[in-house]
Amino acid sequence: MKTIQFLIIVTFIALVAGCAAKAPNELVSARSAYKQASEGPAAQLVPAEVHKAHEALVVAEQSFQKQPASYKTKDLAYVAQRKAELAIALGAMAADKASKDEANAEFQKKQTELLKQGKQDLSDSEKRTAEALAAAAADKASKEQADAELQKQQAELAKQGKQDLSDSEKRTAAALAELAKLAAVKEEARGLVITLSGSVLFRSNESKLLSSAKVKLKQVAKALLAVPARNLVVEGHTDSHGTKSYNQGLSQRRADAVRNYLVQRGYPADRIQARGKGEGHPIANNASPEGRANNRRVEIVIERK
Amino acid sequence: MKAINSTALMVFTAAVVAGAIAVGCASAPLRTEGSTSGIRAAEEAGAAKVPQASLHLQLAKEELELAKGLAARGEKEQAASMLSRAEADAELAVTLSRGDAEKSEAQAAVERARQLRQDNP
Repeated sequence: MKTIQFLIIVTFIALVAGCAAKAPNELVSARSAYKQASEGPAAQLVPAEVHKAHEALVVAEQSFQKQPASYKTKDLAYVAQRKAELAIALGAMAADKASKDEANAEFQKKQTELLKQGKQDLSDSEKRTAEALAAAAADKASKEQADAELQKQQAELAKQGKQDLSDSEKRTAAALAELAKLAAVKEEARGLVITLSGSVLFRSNESKLLSSAKVKLKQVAKALLAVPARNLVVEGHTDSHGTKSYNQGLSQRRADAVRNYLVQRGYPADRIQARGKGEGHPIANNASPEGRANNRRVEIVIERK
Repeated sequence: MKAINSTALMVFTAAVVAGAIAVGCASAPLRTEGSTSGIRAAEEAGAAKVPQASLHLQLAKEELELAKGLAARGEKEQAASMLSRAEADAELAVTLSRGDAEKSEAQAAVERARQLRQDNP
């Protein structure tokens, strides 16, 4: 609309004035400035200012009609140009203000959203923290209870252990006492040695257990089985009467006989061995009959742990 | 005789009045308040710091001085016309100064909003 107005003014002027009077530079500049103002954002943002510029231009044009080259026409045109430039500047200010207001509104809106979200996050965080603390407290209580339970169990085990040890010691002592009734029992470096007389167990030159021997060995087995199993070595010994090889063989057969009987009575087979010692380990003088009788023996060695 | 005297008197009176008016107009001081206040307003708005505003502020000052010169030489009408230039330039200088400040504020606001969006996608 403004462009059309401008064109009408220019055309009118050209027609009326003809080509005789040339417009002063101030008027040419004013026309150009008004065109820019009327076609730019100022026309929508500050229409009143554009209208003022238009009025100023009309006054200048009218003066140009009357006095084309006068200072008055030039001054009026100069002022009209400044009016148009003023409208352009005010239009730019209005646009900047609108942009600023829009940016501020967006900023406020975003801040409000963030604040709201922040409060929600804080609330959620507080809630999670409370839950974590409660869980931690529950874990702690549970752990303390478990520790207390464990301590109680350990105390009971310790107490039981002491009791067990005490019971074991009692049983061992009882077993030793029983063995002592059956045979000679002696503590040696190699272990506890139970000595059974050969004449009690076997007939002369034989390796088959006598019936009475089995009764005794049965009690020995009972005493040995009353305590936790230990490694046993059954050693057969002879006197010096006869050849060494014969005595070696006889002592081995006798040791085997005693071992086999104890295994039959329940002693673990892998915890008991039989060894023939022959005449090589006398405990008495073979020169006398009593000495030779003592040497004819079977020893059950309860090895140290 | 009386009619001629009355007529002459009227013409003389009119001449005296016209002469008085002419003399009065010729000696009336130049009214520069509009342009001087405009120039002061432009200076207070910081026009000297904004290139385009500074140009128009300078033009206004020069035009004011030209107007004063014209007035001193008795060219009252031309002086008044020159003052209109000074007032127009001063007014434009003020607006350009304020416009520069408004543009800076708008840019800062847009940047602030952009930064907030960027920091909080």
